[in-house]
Amino acid sequence: MEALDLTKRPKNKLAVQPEWADVCFTCGTCASGCAVTGVDGWDPRKAVRAVLLGLEQELIDSRWPWICTLCGRCQYACPQGVQLLSLLRNARTHRERDKVPGVIHKGVVMNLERGNNLGIPEFDYLFLLADLSKEMEEGTVELEEEDAEEYPPYPGFYCPVDKEGANIIVTINSKEPMGEPYDMMFWWRIFYAAKESWTVPKQNWEGVNWGLFSGDDEAMKEQVGRVIENARKVGAKTLLYPE
Amino acid sequence: MGFTKWFPEAFEEFRCVSIYDVLKEYLETGRIKVDKSKFAGKKVTLHEPCNYFRKSQMSFGQHYMEEYRYIIKHLFNDEDIVEMEPHGLNGICCGAGGGAWAMPYTKERLDYGKWKADQINATGAELLCAPCHNCRDQIMKALSKEFNVTARVFYLWEMVAEALIIEPWSEEEVKKAHEERDAQYERDGVEIEEEE
Repeated sequence: MEALDLTKRPKNKLAVQPEWADVCFTCGTCASGCAVTGVDGWDPRKAVRAVLLGLEQELIDSRWPWICTLCGRCQYACPQGVQLLSLLRNARTHRERDKVPGVIHKGVVMNLERGNNLGIPEFDYLFLLADLSKEMEEGTVELEEEDAEEYPPYPGFYCPVDKEGANIIVTINSKEPMGEPYDMMFWWRIFYAAKESWTVPKQNWEGVNWGLFSGDDEAMKEQVGRVIENARKVGAKTLLYPE
Repeated sequence: MGFTKWFPEAFEEFRCVSIYDVLKEYLETGRIKVDKSKFAGKKVTLHEPCNYFRKSQMSFGQHYMEEYRYIIKHLFNDEDIVEMEPHGLNGICCGAGGGAWAMPYTKERLDYGKWKADQINATGAELLCAPCHNCRDQIMKALSKEFNVTARVFYLWEMVAEALIIEPWSEEEVKKAHEERDAQYERDGVEIEEEE
């Protein structure tokens, strides 16, 4: 039986270069450092091999690229510079959209339609910011946790929305207005103390780019474009990346 | 990442900064002041979110190890900072990255997180800094219960906010802010009830 020359294979749909068949030493450094090695019988080294052997559909259909957290330890440790992160994210990209696990694709669709992953309406958002601003300014913030500290008043504080000429524009993680609104005040207090000229956007304020995780480049690009568009709209000088 | 790939012009047009850059700059220039006694006598350990450390290093050749510790050292004395092993660019993911927090594979997410939980517990630290929404939620809301992580979890900006020394604004500054605020609420049709 003749040896199979993997480098002669056509380029496959996960955009793995056939030359990688020789580049990857199959040393297993990637798999050794991976927290989900062995889950469902997969590991990063096997993923690379499978794809080079033409079994990419098996990887795409498996849960594994979604159980992997794209933490990048495999790629960081790889002595040969194999681009494992793009391979694994590409496997996500090739999953049919209605078969993306969990809520992230729904969030992507919601964000494209309504400007944030959780579909918070503009009125609710603006009112919440104003309401919280008032509490913070007056020092009437009451937190539920037992060990919560009392917030002092912050005279003059309000949350600027689409403020023209603000120095710095920031996005918001939609889970905060939805479920943990008081957590927004950590940054508000810092901006107050620094006397920063800052603003949040009025629309399309989402700071979480789920297209990155669902493997959806179009949505990811749209989301990043919105951040830039919002900054242009108010003439901001500085963009703060989301946490 | 999306900036580099699709909108490289944004780097010319705007100053693009991470939270580490901003907090470091505020502290360095004295724009904010923090009270180091706030967390006095407590040990802290530091989680590095994959995105701003390992992945940022691989994509942009830049990580925020130095900035992160610069900020932390304004809040803690050196002897109270206990590192996890491994940490930094070889650090372990919280287990909920890549969208896993919003995915249905709970058992796998927790199995993964056990590595992180063990790391945290091994430090014996009472406080944990997790400068990422996702990492913080996984550690605070999932790992704490599942694996008895007793360290109290903070965002980095939460720690800074809690230790801030606030100097109230001058009357003039307050007046100007109120005018801007009123104009904004008028523009956006926001009405806030006065309860006086």
